[in-house]
Amino acid sequence: MKTLKQFEFPPELVPDFEKAKRLEWFTIAYFLSSALFIFLAMGNSQTMKTAWYDDVLSLTPPIAFQVASRVFLKSPNKEFPYGYHRVVNIAYLCSALALFALGVFLVIDSSISLVKTEHPTIGTVVVFGQQIWLGYVMLAALLWSTVPSVILGRKKLPLSKKLHEKNLYTDADMNKADWMSGAAAMLGVVGIGCGWWWADSAAALLIAVDIVHDGFTTLKQAVFDLMDQIPKTVSKEQPDPLLEQVRQTLAGQSWIKDFSFRMRENGHIYLGEGFVVPTQEENLIQHIASTVQTIENLDWRIHEFIITPVPELPQEESAY
Amino acid sequence: MIDSVRSLFTLFFFPFVLLLSACSEYPKDPERTLQKVENGILQVGYSDNPPWVIKTDQDPIGIEPELVKGFAKSLHATVRWHNDTEQGLFEGLKRKQYALVVAGITDDTPWKQEKIGLTRPYREGHKKHVMAIMQGENAFLVRLENYLYQQNKAATQHRQP
Repeated sequence: MKTLKQFEFPPELVPDFEKAKRLEWFTIAYFLSSALFIFLAMGNSQTMKTAWYDDVLSLTPPIAFQVASRVFLKSPNKEFPYGYHRVVNIAYLCSALALFALGVFLVIDSSISLVKTEHPTIGTVVVFGQQIWLGYVMLAALLWSTVPSVILGRKKLPLSKKLHEKNLYTDADMNKADWMSGAAAMLGVVGIGCGWWWADSAAALLIAVDIVHDGFTTLKQAVFDLMDQIPKTVSKEQPDPLLEQVRQTLAGQSWIKDFSFRMRENGHIYLGEGFVVPTQEENLIQHIASTVQTIENLDWRIHEFIITPVPELPQEESAY
Repeated sequence: MIDSVRSLFTLFFFPFVLLLSACSEYPKDPERTLQKVENGILQVGYSDNPPWVIKTDQDPIGIEPELVKGFAKSLHATVRWHNDTEQGLFEGLKRKQYALVVAGITDDTPWKQEKIGLTRPYREGHKKHVMAIMQGENAFLVRLENYLYQQNKAATQHRQP
């Protein structure tokens, strides 16, 4: 059976990939510590409960990344001729669904506690022999769950673009946006201290809406990826300019009279098929081989491009 | 990009600081329980549960009533005692009739799911004993827990000279 070539990052990107892996390990450790801190300071606050779920859920993208980055480099074999790239998408679909569903649950939960006019009862704790209001500990926990997260997000963002790693991008983007839910949560706790009982549930509701938003964004991306959408840029969700380069390469071949092609994403890599109407049949095999080579050399992401000669193209399919 | 982040940051944290400075007494009670009790009347519900609360012909005695009396004194407040069943006391607490309920309650009481508040356990033992307050009255709660903590500390020091 013809399998795909073994995929490797081009040598210049290997250090970036290693750096991304290190950062994601760090992210996992960080969110574990943050979730623990929030859990210890949770008390009766709806905001803190929501912030805790937020932190625990923030663990899923880096874990999915680590698992996937172990699997997707495995070489394609007879059982899996297309390799293991889809593992990334499947892992992502699962975590996106969890994020979305839990977000919806938290929106309902926070709305109920708002409607029932639940007054958060926040007492004191003894820290190093000092008795202090738990609200201050909450604020410290929220600060710890916000500031490092934003810094991590900013560090991961450029790497995700270089590596064409959508999952890393979404993760980084979510981390970067964490300061909004962090600020909302802190305002909620400060509000409780001011005697505004509703501030707690209201802040929780805001964070829950943010989780739903994150969940919906990732869910959409995961589904689109599994449906073989045309390759898009990591950040702007626009058709990748590489598509245009491929089109121009095919259009520039004198041996091709007419053509049509399609491409899809498979994890980090692109796979494509071109259907061409040759001008003459002389040297056809050499022409095909050299054009395939040219296209595959355009960028590391174009992993396999197959050219099939056809007698004619259906009317509306001509030239992309 | 940096500018927009910075302006959003200011947008969030300026009111944040403003809020903190606006609240001189921190935390505050939504129902102003502490304000009403100080130099006023402390409405306390109790239920017989020896040795924590012992009902007598007059005011109740026992571990918890003694603590409540000392706490009221520290707030220059007069205690008004109301006797009822535990069920009645918690219903009353939900209706905001009492500021404080003592009945030898432990922190695993099923009532904690209801709209009431519990103190931190004021005494660790076989079971964790707590007092019940109106839900969300945090200034009152902090004052009460401070008092109970100091009393507990004094008692343990007394026991281990």
